[in-house]
Amino acid sequence: MAEMIPVAFLFFAAALVLPALPMLVRSILLLGVPVLSGLIAWSLPEGMLLQVSFFGLELELMRVDPLSRIFAVIFSLAAFLGNLYAWHVRDTVQQAAALIYAGSAIGAVFAGDLITLFFYWEGTAIASVFLIWARRTEGAYHTGMRYLVIQIGSGVLLLVGAVLWHAETGTIAFDRMTLGSPATYFIFLSFGIKCAFPLLHNWLQDSYPAATVTGTVILSAFTTKLAVYALARGFAGTEILVYIGAAMTLFPIFYAVIENDLRRVLAYSLNNQLGFMVVGIGIGTELALNGTAAHAFAHILYKALLFMSVGAVLFRTGTAKGSELGGLYKTMPLTMIFCVVGAASISAFPLFSGFVTKSLILSASVKEHYNIIWAILLFASAGVFHHSGIKIPYFTFFAHDSGLRPKEAPTHMLLAMGITAFLCIAIGVYPAPLYALLPYEVQYESYTTTHVITQLQLLFFSALAFTVLMRTGIYPPELKSVNLDSDWTYRKAAPSVIRVLAAFVAHVYDSILTFLSNRINNTIRRLHRSHGPEGRMARNWPTGSMVLSIALLLGATLLVNFAG
Amino acid sequence: MSDKPKKEDTGKFPVLGQMFLWADNPKSVNKLVYGLYALCTLLFLADFFYDKHVYLVEEEVPGFYALYGFFMCALLVICAKGMRLLLKRDEDYYAPDGVDSEDYPEDQLDKVKHDG
Repeated sequence: MAEMIPVAFLFFAAALVLPALPMLVRSILLLGVPVLSGLIAWSLPEGMLLQVSFFGLELELMRVDPLSRIFAVIFSLAAFLGNLYAWHVRDTVQQAAALIYAGSAIGAVFAGDLITLFFYWEGTAIASVFLIWARRTEGAYHTGMRYLVIQIGSGVLLLVGAVLWHAETGTIAFDRMTLGSPATYFIFLSFGIKCAFPLLHNWLQDSYPAATVTGTVILSAFTTKLAVYALARGFAGTEILVYIGAAMTLFPIFYAVIENDLRRVLAYSLNNQLGFMVVGIGIGTELALNGTAAHAFAHILYKALLFMSVGAVLFRTGTAKGSELGGLYKTMPLTMIFCVVGAASISAFPLFSGFVTKSLILSASVKEHYNIIWAILLFASAGVFHHSGIKIPYFTFFAHDSGLRPKEAPTHMLLAMGITAFLCIAIGVYPAPLYALLPYEVQYESYTTTHVITQLQLLFFSALAFTVLMRTGIYPPELKSVNLDSDWTYRKAAPSVIRVLAAFVAHVYDSILTFLSNRINNTIRRLHRSHGPEGRMARNWPTGSMVLSIALLLGATLLVNFAG
Repeated sequence: MSDKPKKEDTGKFPVLGQMFLWADNPKSVNKLVYGLYALCTLLFLADFFYDKHVYLVEEEVPGFYALYGFFMCALLVICAKGMRLLLKRDEDYYAPDGVDSEDYPEDQLDKVKHDG
């Protein structure tokens, strides 16, 4: 019975009835639907479970296999945790948007063809923008618009790719493709935008800090990981992804060090973590793809946890800026501890989730002889510890005392953070259940002496570097500022180019008009001068001369008549 | 920075918060830093005392991970600091179409003081 209803429709139905329900029932529904969908996703049998005919195309609404299952399970879990964190929210728009967004993401991972994928792909775009607009400020409105244009653009590219793919192969099935034909490039680019590839990335850092306190937590889970899933499904083993992924792990860490808005720091580190997953997809071996899926799973949890803790601080103090915060451990100690758990997990400390998932990808890179890529990933691992592991907790909860003495986060937020933190540690301590969910069989032992000691060396010496730089005053202080990134091209450069171009075109148009009207004026003036009342041609009045000529002519005719 | 009373009543902080108050004392921070130095030394030396199973030649260098972590992080911070010279702009650079210089809407927050 359960397999006859696409899981996504549960979310849509709930979103539909939501506004009519009293608040308590609504809250229960917001938590119940993700739990139900998680259980269904967990227990569904594998295979193509549901086909629908649509304009002569066979749509596969429910493709269940280990890869779609693990993403559906973690998306359901993320939706549950996000909605629990947002228990206090009374804004129907945000509640419905969160449900439709999560439902679309889950629908998309079960989509067996490109057209179904397209519908859900756009669904995530349209639903999620309301989590940004819900902030209800002018800046959030503009940011949401930029976000929407880019997300919808990604969907349009996907549709173009799907149409071309159908023309090329006669099928719309969404399976592994080889990059080469125009269709595959369109699809690849569409995935790349949502996955925040370098230079296509800035919608992420632009929009996530602009969303509401709870909206950012929900946003952080779905869109980018849906893209990771899509790449893993469609382009596993595409070598260029290894290099794209490595670049992705690298450049955001530099920005993260100097960024002041801590939610944007987290967006940069999210981008960096996606890079690890993309490298895994590019390598494409069973170990690497397991690594990508496992890392996506762990990442959704610890990233949500970090966004939750910074969000709780924003909720209580009104700011998430490093320059304004500090010393909050005194009155928000639980939030601080949860934040540290998230930080330890993203930094891949032994006994925390990142340790048992990221290492799969690093091992895969060495095994396939991507030595330089491995070195880059290692650097990125140290770097992520630096800005997410140390900077976020340090500047929020310790550092200089801001004098802010906010109350501890509300109970439901603490509960959401507590459960997430528990899961981060549980995965780190006992990874077997997560490994069992992975697409391929796992033969990997993370807790070897070598791995534990080398990882501790990497992390503690990174901490040492932080300490030394901090004590010598070299570490850049948190400043009220923004940093230029690729969004500068369309927020500042393109508008000024267009402004200059518009001025130029207007000037040319003006000149042509002036030139033409001058010519006409001159012609009229010249005619006026020669033929006007005072003109040379007007001196001999032509009527007088005409009368004279006619008189002469008549006289001549008369003479001729008399003579004849 | 708000005006703090000279002597703050820390007794009203959550118990857990009070347990971390030592973090405000420069002396204990120093102790923590020395602890970190000691730990790092131990971890570095540990490389000589176990059978290292690695794939690459570079990894076999004693303390490779330690040195790589330290120097790459220092490099990271110094490069990032350099980037600031080029990339840093005022907070209202993108205003009014960005959120950076906006206040978060008060009606969506629940600002409560810990003792209020």
